[in-house]
Amino acid sequence: MIETLDNSIQLILTGLCSLIAFVRAVREHRREWLLLGLFFVTFFLGDLYWTLYYIFYSRTLVYPFIPNLSWYTSYLFLAILLLLVKDKKGEDKAPIMLYLIPAFTIAMCAYYMTFGDYVSNLAVAVLMTVIMWNAAKGLIRVRKQEEGAEKLGLYMMSLLFCIVEYAMWTSSCIWEGNTILYPYYWFDFLLSICFVLFIPAVRKMVDE
Amino acid sequence: MNYIENIYICLAAPLFIAAFCVRRQGRTMLLFVVSGMTACLLSSYISTFLAAASGADMLTASLTLAPLVEEIMKMIPILFFILVFDPHKGDLSASVMMTAVGFATFENVCYLAQNGAEHLSHLAIRGFGTGAMHVVCGAIIGIGIISFWDQVWLKIGGTMGLLSVTTTYHGIYNLLVAQKGTPAYVGYFIPIFTTFAVVIPLRNHLSGRPVQ
Repeated sequence: MIETLDNSIQLILTGLCSLIAFVRAVREHRREWLLLGLFFVTFFLGDLYWTLYYIFYSRTLVYPFIPNLSWYTSYLFLAILLLLVKDKKGEDKAPIMLYLIPAFTIAMCAYYMTFGDYVSNLAVAVLMTVIMWNAAKGLIRVRKQEEGAEKLGLYMMSLLFCIVEYAMWTSSCIWEGNTILYPYYWFDFLLSICFVLFIPAVRKMVDE
Repeated sequence: MNYIENIYICLAAPLFIAAFCVRRQGRTMLLFVVSGMTACLLSSYISTFLAAASGADMLTASLTLAPLVEEIMKMIPILFFILVFDPHKGDLSASVMMTAVGFATFENVCYLAQNGAEHLSHLAIRGFGTGAMHVVCGAIIGIGIISFWDQVWLKIGGTMGLLSVTTTYHGIYNLLVAQKGTPAYVGYFIPIFTTFAVVIPLRNHLSGRPVQ
């Protein structure tokens, strides 16, 4: 029951967010909206495939690479969006603190590999590193006032999205259950809210 | 036994001959239809091989392996065209569409050869559904190529991402049409709806209007 509710909420929200982003992309001819729309729609399609398979066959996929590919592609589009909006002028050396990000993602990747396969965990680690690195670097640049404050929302949302994803994956490794008390669902609800918050963040960036 | 090579020869031969008898634009389009059919034939071989190699049954193969193989194979002629001939963006979207049309046509004919042609209403729905699904996938790739084809890293990342979008879209279609009754009809209807709601309104974008 809780799983169906969780999946339905996420499907509705990602579907609506895709629609809003694509309408904006068509109206404003901005690549930022197109990439955000692709980020939402790939996540939506992965969720939809997973949910439909579960409804029709009452079991999870034996070869889940289509939904996995779709979810990883959504991270790819978010990474592309962050790389695209990055301020190219005045590229400086990354602060030492930023190297904590690859250290964290590699450690988590090694932990997840004890539960799942190597290739997909490695792909996720690379994509998450790119997203978190660029988001954190962007945040530092905004604080130093080297880059426009209009991108602050996007950087913060990207970091929050990655943190919630990691919290969700880790909770599913530690606790098992199928009730509202199971932390996996709290983080998945939070992830659904994160999707919605990307819209005002990108709107602020594009409008300014 | 389904002699798909024989069907392929019968369908592709007149198009191939005609390609030598028409002028440049027409020839390119005819060759893309043939390349779509060839991609469909090769996809069938590769999917069957992968299913046998991984020990997957035919249903699992059609739901998980076939969408990925088919979308990659459909993209190969387009990538060849882009990398070798460096075409105009407008020509490119028409080429993507023609490849999709060739692929869908060959797939429909193979379905007819395998399942018979007596149920017109079902075949009409299936024909439009499959045709629309391949056209939608072609349009997604076309829009992506037009939007992301100006920087190398964006080109590679964007193309891979869009390939994944089409694969999942195709996978959802296969998942729905593999069911009986309403889910199958919903599956056939989704691509038709997407064509009218998304692809047709975006025709101008497909003709190469730039994105900022």
